[in-house]
Amino acid sequence: MEKACWVVVSLLIIACFNSCAVIGRSKDFRPFDESTLMGVTPGKTTAQEVTELFGAPSQVVKLFNGNAYVYERSLSKATGLWLVILTFANFDIQHDRIVFFINQDDVVSHYGSSFKTEAASYEMPF
Amino acid sequence: MRCHFRNIVWIMIALLAGCVIAGCVSLRIEKINDGAEILPPPEGFTAGKTSLQEVLLYYGAPTDIIDMQGSLALHYQRTFYRGGHLSIGVPLGDVYNASPKFDARGDLALHDAIVFIFTTDGLLKDMRYEKSTSRPLWDTYWE
Repeated sequence: MEKACWVVVSLLIIACFNSCAVIGRSKDFRPFDESTLMGVTPGKTTAQEVTELFGAPSQVVKLFNGNAYVYERSLSKATGLWLVILTFANFDIQHDRIVFFINQDDVVSHYGSSFKTEAASYEMPF
Repeated sequence: MRCHFRNIVWIMIALLAGCVIAGCVSLRIEKINDGAEILPPPEGFTAGKTSLQEVLLYYGAPTDIIDMQGSLALHYQRTFYRGGHLSIGVPLGDVYNASPKFDARGDLALHDAIVFIFTTDGLLKDMRYEKSTSRPLWDTYWE
C-alpha cells in the first residue's frame, strides 16, 4: 500500500512540476551581403548598379533631391518557459539595413549600413 | 508507519490542490526588444558642421527616412517592451452559469530614439536624443 502511495506521489510531483521550454527563430530574409558594399562608390555607382548588386529594394523613399533605396531584413529569436502557473517569454528582434541615397542624376550620393542580426540572442525576460 | 502514511496522504492532497490551482491561476511575463542599442550622439556632432555622411558612418542605416519637403530627417529607434498578465479564474461554466474570473495586465513600451534633421546641402540642422530604456520600469509605468 505504501509503495503504491509513493508511486502516486511521484506521478503527482511530475504532473505538478512539469514544464515546457521552447526556442524559436523567425527570419525575414533578403539576399544581400555586407561584402557587396565594397562594389559601391558614392559619386560613381548608379541606381541601376545598386539594383543589379542588391536586387529590388525593400522600400523606396521619395526625397526632395532624389530617392532612397532601403534594403532590410530581420531575425527574431524567441525563448519561452512554462512552469505550471508561470510563463516567461522573451523576443529579441534585430535588423540588417542598407540605405542608398540616390541623387537626381541617379547616382549614389551616400549610403549607410547596419548589420545587427548576429546580435539577436536567446534569453529570459528577467 | 501509520504516521508516515498520513504524511503521504497530506502530500498527495497538497499536490492535487496544486494541480487544480494550476488550471485557475496563471502569470505571464513578457519582454520584447526590437532593434539595437542607440548610442548618444558624440560631442563632435554639431549643427551646421556635421554632414549626412558622418552620421551614416557613425549610426549606420536609419530605421526611417523622412522627406520634410526641403529637409531630410533620419530616425533611429529601439523599442523595449515589458508586459505582465495575471489571471485567476474558477472554471465553473459547466456546473454553474457563471465562472468567476479576475484578469490584470500591464504593458510598457519604452523607446530609445535619435533624430537628425539635415538641410538641403546635407548638413546637420538639428538633432534630438531620447533614452527611455534607462528609466525605472515600475515608476515609469505608474507615472
